[in-house]
Amino acid sequence: MTGRVFDIQRFSVHDGPGIRTTVFLKGCPLNCAWCHNPEGIRAGPELSFDREKCLACGECVRACPMAAHSLQTDGKGLAHVLDRGRCEVRGECVSVCCSDSLEIVGRSLSVEEVMREVMADRVFYRQAGGGLTISGGEPLMQAEFTAALLVAAKKEGLHCCVETSGFGGWEALCRMLPLTDLFLFDWKVTEPVEHERHTGQSNTIIARNLRELYARGARIRLQCPLIPGINDNEGHYEGIEALLESMPNLDGISILPYHPLGTAKLERLGRPPAFAASTTSAIRQSARFLAGRLARRGFRVVGTEGDRQEGGQRRAEDGVPRREGIKSDF
Amino acid sequence: MSTTAVETELSYEERLRLLRGMKLAQTREKQRIRGTMDFDDHGIILPPEDLRETVKTISGSGVHFTDVILKNFRPRPNHQNGGYYGPAACGRNFRSLLEVHPAYIDPMSSLAGAYMVNFMSYRRAHWKPEFDREELMAQHERYHIVPAIGAVQHLCQDLAIGLRLGWGGLLEKVRHFRAINVAAAEFYEGLEQVVLGTQDWIRRHAREARRKAQEHGPMAQNLLEIAEINEHLISGAPRTFREACQWILWDLLISRMYNGSGALGRADVLLEPYYRADVGAGRLTDEEAVFHIACMLLRDTPYFQLGGPDASGRDVTGSVSFLVLEAAHRLRTPVNVGVCVGEGVDEGLLRRGVEMLVEDRCGTPKFLGVDNTIRGFVRNGFSVELARERAYSGCQWSALPGREYAIQDIIKINLAKVLDVALREMLADGDVRPCVAELWDRFERHLGEAVAITAAGIDFQYEHMHEVFPELPLDLLCHGPIERGLDASHGGVEYYTFGVDGAGLATTADSFASIEERVEKEGRVSWAQLLEGLESNWAGPEGERVRRLMGGAAKYGAGGTTGDEWAKRIAGAFTREVKEKRTPNGHMMLPGLFSWALAVLMGKKLGATPNGRRAGEPISHGANPNPGCRKDGAPTAIAVAVAEVQPGYGNTAPLQLDLDPCTQNSAQDIVNVMGLIRGHFDLGGTQINANIVDREQILEASEDPGRFPELVVRVTGFSAYFSSLSPELRRFVVDRVICEKGAGA
Ligand code: SF4
Ligand code: SF4
Repeated sequence: MTGRVFDIQRFSVHDGPGIRTTVFLKGCPLNCAWCHNPEGIRAGPELSFDREKCLACGECVRACPMAAHSLQTDGKGLAHVLDRGRCEVRGECVSVCCSDSLEIVGRSLSVEEVMREVMADRVFYRQAGGGLTISGGEPLMQAEFTAALLVAAKKEGLHCCVETSGFGGWEALCRMLPLTDLFLFDWKVTEPVEHERHTGQSNTIIARNLRELYARGARIRLQCPLIPGINDNEGHYEGIEALLESMPNLDGISILPYHPLGTAKLERLGRPPAFAASTTSAIRQSARFLAGRLARRGFRVVGTEGDRQEGGQRRAEDGVPRREGIKSDF
Repeated sequence: MSTTAVETELSYEERLRLLRGMKLAQTREKQRIRGTMDFDDHGIILPPEDLRETVKTISGSGVHFTDVILKNFRPRPNHQNGGYYGPAACGRNFRSLLEVHPAYIDPMSSLAGAYMVNFMSYRRAHWKPEFDREELMAQHERYHIVPAIGAVQHLCQDLAIGLRLGWGGLLEKVRHFRAINVAAAEFYEGLEQVVLGTQDWIRRHAREARRKAQEHGPMAQNLLEIAEINEHLISGAPRTFREACQWILWDLLISRMYNGSGALGRADVLLEPYYRADVGAGRLTDEEAVFHIACMLLRDTPYFQLGGPDASGRDVTGSVSFLVLEAAHRLRTPVNVGVCVGEGVDEGLLRRGVEMLVEDRCGTPKFLGVDNTIRGFVRNGFSVELARERAYSGCQWSALPGREYAIQDIIKINLAKVLDVALREMLADGDVRPCVAELWDRFERHLGEAVAITAAGIDFQYEHMHEVFPELPLDLLCHGPIERGLDASHGGVEYYTFGVDGAGLATTADSFASIEERVEKEGRVSWAQLLEGLESNWAGPEGERVRRLMGGAAKYGAGGTTGDEWAKRIAGAFTREVKEKRTPNGHMMLPGLFSWALAVLMGKKLGATPNGRRAGEPISHGANPNPGCRKDGAPTAIAVAVAEVQPGYGNTAPLQLDLDPCTQNSAQDIVNVMGLIRGHFDLGGTQINANIVDREQILEASEDPGRFPELVVRVTGFSAYFSSLSPELRRFVVDRVICEKGAGA
């Protein structure tokens, strides 16, 4: 059983409690303009080219059977030009590039291969109460693989999180349910039409899946990306509040202010920038505002910068294993 | 030079604020006059302006720097080269220096004293020419070895001796044995001079405090107390917690001034009985205790251990352990305490330590994997009880207080230079076809030679150093030197276990990996191209292409790569070479992996290396992988890697961690960092030096250090004001921080 993986990140501390390893699966049915992992959107492998690193040495020109690479003179000297229309993404050029400019994003990995990397940090999961997080892209798009990975991780006794947009078949989610300790469930835009406009899909299926999961007692933490000009508005805030009110047993909610991490990645993948916000300080402020407002209404806000703002007090109960938890492992 | 008098009664908090402000002003002044300082900040302050003279000198750790000395003192030479050698001359000169050294009383502090000069900076001719070391030094140079020869301090004294005897008791002890052991009169003369000089210095401080008491209305009471305490301490042993702090401070100032020593061992254990007695008698509050400790740590930056097992294995963590942390927390100045982490050690100490690391962002404290260092020391054949007594006392090292001479953290073999010699030799040999196996054979042979040279240097040091520049102040607080009439460097103490560190592990491992992958397996770079690259320092576009290719191979630290395998193999070979051999005179050597800040200096004189490193760039730091060894920079991956290369004989291969603070919240940060620390020690790690640094802040600070005068970073085993560091060392720290993404993605 293999899956399409575009990254495995160790010491991942934003994707669930404790020290974790996050496995990013490639392929997503949505297409959010602000996506900070745009390399996770398309299912197939892609060729990433980092112009900054390129030495214009021409090795790739010689290696490519499709003549996708060429060196052309511009005002300053030789410059590398990549014609993606010709590229078949088999990567002959990657192995000859001396400068790490070229990379195939997206590998096919077996459950065992992924687990080998995940288990390298087992001692830290035990000590800090962490484990495996499967993210993406969209894990629901590789439901078989996700389930197999969760089974393997559960066999090792790992705490498992699945980070999902919630857009997918119910059966797929249902299979993950008994294997997942915590769902990190996105809630992007409240209004269905707006949701479709910004992500390519309506959120009716998402909302239904969320309610189903909740009804079956899954542990769910909502994750709300806050994107300037898209969902930083009163309507959405109220939508979130209504949602939280209707699901009092949610594990909590995280507000994730927009971060322009995706822009550089898009450029390396040869795709035009889809979204640009010049500054992030305003949206971080909005995130703090929203987090504070939700916290004041008694909702459990987890892992937002808002935490530090609220008087900076420590909140040991925020999904963080306590001292006894650590000791018991000794 | 003292903090301005204030009209009303001041709280401890307010006094500490004023003292900190004073310290910052003094540091700024130091930076202005002395320029950069690539070592501990220490607590040294500048002499009064009219007494200042600037000299070029070399620190106790071997770093060249600009120093300021007192104009009103000139050492008396006893050699035609203008130098002074041997115990009597060193002791007499040191006493003369103390006699003119200004007294320093800050009315805000509860303790007297500060030091203004390094005695070492008066030593123009460091080595005594009669002991010819030229050839031996040249041999060391062949492998860029930092030799044992000429090393000072880097052993831990046993403060308990001094706290029990006081200066008067020490003087009596010296005189007692002087009368018995007449052949060692020179040595005892040196010791006696040090004690007499110290007593005189304390006496002048007591007088100065009395004088100041008349001027300073609001602080008069404090000044009178200082006077009384020090009148007593001229001869008497300390009776109270405050007196004990004052006594330790005197000892620190003396030994720091003499040759840079700052090794205290288990200061918390030693202070605990004074604390208990005073609190029990209603003489002391926690608030006062914290203040006294802070006053001590303001005037010097000693190394000491908090908590950990005693000889019987019982954890000694006490109230003072926590009060020390509290003092460091309030100071937020460079402080070098190490917190023990291990089975049975109070978990609260680790938790509080991590909270401080996260909140204060001063790189304080560091964390000691005592279970593994104890287990390792036992593997040398020592008892577990003895191993437990070893106490943390310097950047990355421990020693048996008062009983072990190991000149820890001095001797360094640059592994990358050993590889360089082996590689060039192989490529120049027309009779062999170059290959990795052949290179490894030669590397091992040269490593063996480097260790043999190092060992010869150790014997040479043992033979002669006591006649050049003996330890004196440290001898006073060791078990044996006074009794035997022998300097600690020359048979005075019980155990001689010379610490030999390998430096540049990652540079060497990555070089081997690049050669194996790029040259041997893939054939993408020829041996000739490699050599050309190394010799030309990767000149021209072709050179840059080859450099990138070589630099792109799988690195040590990435996890399960060729580089990781090489690192283990090299660390194993180094450990074997050091452990299996004894010096020709039979001394034991203990392997460690650490470069200290010398990674920068060692890199400066090393040519380009096969891992794509350019000539002159720093070699890798300590046992750490090179920054950027993994795309995600995961500290867990680095922690796993460093745990796997531990030599395992009681000396450390520290893990340097530079973490970004922006995780979800501080409670989460604390749990994660605790997990990281415990996890590393579970895997066999021995010590962690950590920074929580804001990447943006450090980038800004590197552009304009003056704007961040209070930014303290853990450079390596020591911490320092970022703005005091040289541009090279600042770069070194910044490169590490921005590459190791750490907690924040
Ligand atoms: S991946 Fe293959 S087709 Fe695409 S540019 Fe590289 S060599 Fe050419
Ligand atoms: S091989 Fe790499 S460095 Fe050379 S031109 Fe191609 S992309 Fe640039």
